[in-house]
Amino acid sequence: MTAYIIRRLLILPLILLGVTFIIFGMMQLLGPDKLLAAYVNPNVFDKLSDEELEALKDKYGLNDPLVVRYGKWLNGVLHGDLGWSVVGKTYVSDALMQRIPHTAELALYAIFPVVGVGIWLGIKAAVNRDKFIDHAIRIFAVIGWSFPDFVFGLFVLMIFYSMLGWLPPGNFSNWVEDIIKSSDFHYITHILSLDALLNGRFDIFWDVIRHLIGPIITISWLWWAYLLRITRSSMLEVLNKEYIRTARAKGLDEKVVINKHAKRNALIPVTTVGGAMIINLFAGTVIVEVIFNRVGLGSFVAQAATQLDYAAIMGGALFYSSILVIGNLIIDILYATIDPRIRLG
Amino acid sequence: MNREPILQVKDLKTYFYTEDGIVKAVDGVSFELYQGETLGIVGESGSGKSVTSLTIMRLLDEKARIEGGEVIFKGKELLKLSEEEMRKIRGNDIAMIFQEPMVALNPVYTIGDQIMEAIILHQKVKESEARKIAIDLLRKVGIPEPEKRVDQYPHQLSGGMRQRAMIAMALSCRPQILIADEPTTALDVTIQAQILELMKELQREYGMALIMITHDMGVIAETADRVAVMYAGKVVEYGTVDEIFKKPKHPYTYALLSSIPRLDVEKQELKSIPGTVPDPLNFPPGCRFHPRCDFAKEECKNIDPELVEVSPGHYTACPFYKVLEGVEVK
Repeated sequence: MTAYIIRRLLILPLILLGVTFIIFGMMQLLGPDKLLAAYVNPNVFDKLSDEELEALKDKYGLNDPLVVRYGKWLNGVLHGDLGWSVVGKTYVSDALMQRIPHTAELALYAIFPVVGVGIWLGIKAAVNRDKFIDHAIRIFAVIGWSFPDFVFGLFVLMIFYSMLGWLPPGNFSNWVEDIIKSSDFHYITHILSLDALLNGRFDIFWDVIRHLIGPIITISWLWWAYLLRITRSSMLEVLNKEYIRTARAKGLDEKVVINKHAKRNALIPVTTVGGAMIINLFAGTVIVEVIFNRVGLGSFVAQAATQLDYAAIMGGALFYSSILVIGNLIIDILYATIDPRIRLG
Repeated sequence: MNREPILQVKDLKTYFYTEDGIVKAVDGVSFELYQGETLGIVGESGSGKSVTSLTIMRLLDEKARIEGGEVIFKGKELLKLSEEEMRKIRGNDIAMIFQEPMVALNPVYTIGDQIMEAIILHQKVKESEARKIAIDLLRKVGIPEPEKRVDQYPHQLSGGMRQRAMIAMALSCRPQILIADEPTTALDVTIQAQILELMKELQREYGMALIMITHDMGVIAETADRVAVMYAGKVVEYGTVDEIFKKPKHPYTYALLSSIPRLDVEKQELKSIPGTVPDPLNFPPGCRFHPRCDFAKEECKNIDPELVEVSPGHYTACPFYKVLEGVEVK
């Protein structure tokens, strides 16, 4: 197992390097002028003198051969220089850093309800095949499956905010903002709910959670549909395998048969889908962020794309790719943990 | 054979309720199994031999329903036991090995883990003790380096080794009955002989009764003491292996024996039984074998033949069995 992980970790930098090639290559398509403009605040850029422009060109290697330019760019990226975001009205790195904790917060709280419950429902349905509970779960899945997320999200907002007033949109209430911007509030993890707990502010913690519930319900409902169908069919397939009959023939309790012998095998294909979902959560969920008026990566990058904010798009792409590569590494390690044929094969 | 049978199956009926209709997979099967003996159940695929064994173990899926009959194991009526009582018998008193060792072992657990599971469950021993038993069992079934193999996964073993591991698993609680459902069908011929030899050896050592389910008359000749020949959900002939092979009393048995390739006859064309196994949704009326029977008469369409004893311990379901007298098995 250790050898497998080390092998995978050694490949990781190579893949990330490949990612930087692609993104750097794409940036070159902009041409030198737009490329240079993407690095600087446009208000400043317009007032630059010729010498200052030359100095900038030199700094970003626009007068140098491609290899040197790549070196300078990579050096900049590693030091957090991703250019200026028009949409974020700040440096791309700052704009990303402001949003990543919010996206990560939603992702962290959504993992269990989305993936955990989705898998649980799928297994329940499979084990109770063709019984009432299976039909109920499947009808529920079809409804979730056929709902566009923006419609479902709006329903949640209408019912739980407009009608009941329980789940407000946004990341937190206005009164929270003053407190968290004051010097009394210490940032430790930058995940607001955790920091609130660490600062002993349970009221802020609850406020943040209240704002997370709506988005989590929306994502869960829609993603469960997909996840539980995959889990259900995978579980049904495994339950028909001969080794399940062998396990029963040993006299094992049906609970042991399902929990020990069936689940682990059934979860192998589910890991891929569930893992991809978690990666998506960390990359930001555009529609949910827009509907619930949340600050987050998804809506930021979407906006950057519509406004041709090249620096922000490239910065976002770099972040997404890194998350994807690291996420896939984790999925592969999980795979190997579940299935000995992968780690020993 | 004056002893009490250890297992008695009486008029067993297992039907499958499918969307297309009722499949009478097992339709009135009876036989006895005595301590220490081997009963061969032979028949083509779809004759109901595997379903019979799964019915005895009560391991059928929900579509199947046991419509009637009794399975008596040492005085206990297995079909009437609660699921919990049945679990205590499975793996402990009656164990089973399956056709394909490739798929009958769980790929994500080690061999040792899967053997120890039953030991811990039924014999209530500690894990370290169970591990020792598992290693001893692996050695006993002829797996080299059992201390190493015990921690390996099924995919790291060859087909023959896996079947040996399956046997070790089935024998882990010293069962009184072992049901082997086509245990050698998926294996190479050379490995087949080794596995059969191993099973015979272990049977003698443990004194257990063996039900050998196969479509291969060669395996029957090699292992069985008595034979039940099944066709379309029914036992059509039942007797000692000697009688069945030398004096078959049912045209189906006769046809099966004739289709064994022989080495002692020069350039003989390989015989096969004409036609196919009947559609279980739509069995032919009368004797279910009559459309394929070389000796069929007009009456065969209308009779529902019962097993009759033709000589002590030898039963046939063909009322016209006398036509086979003097006919040599070709």
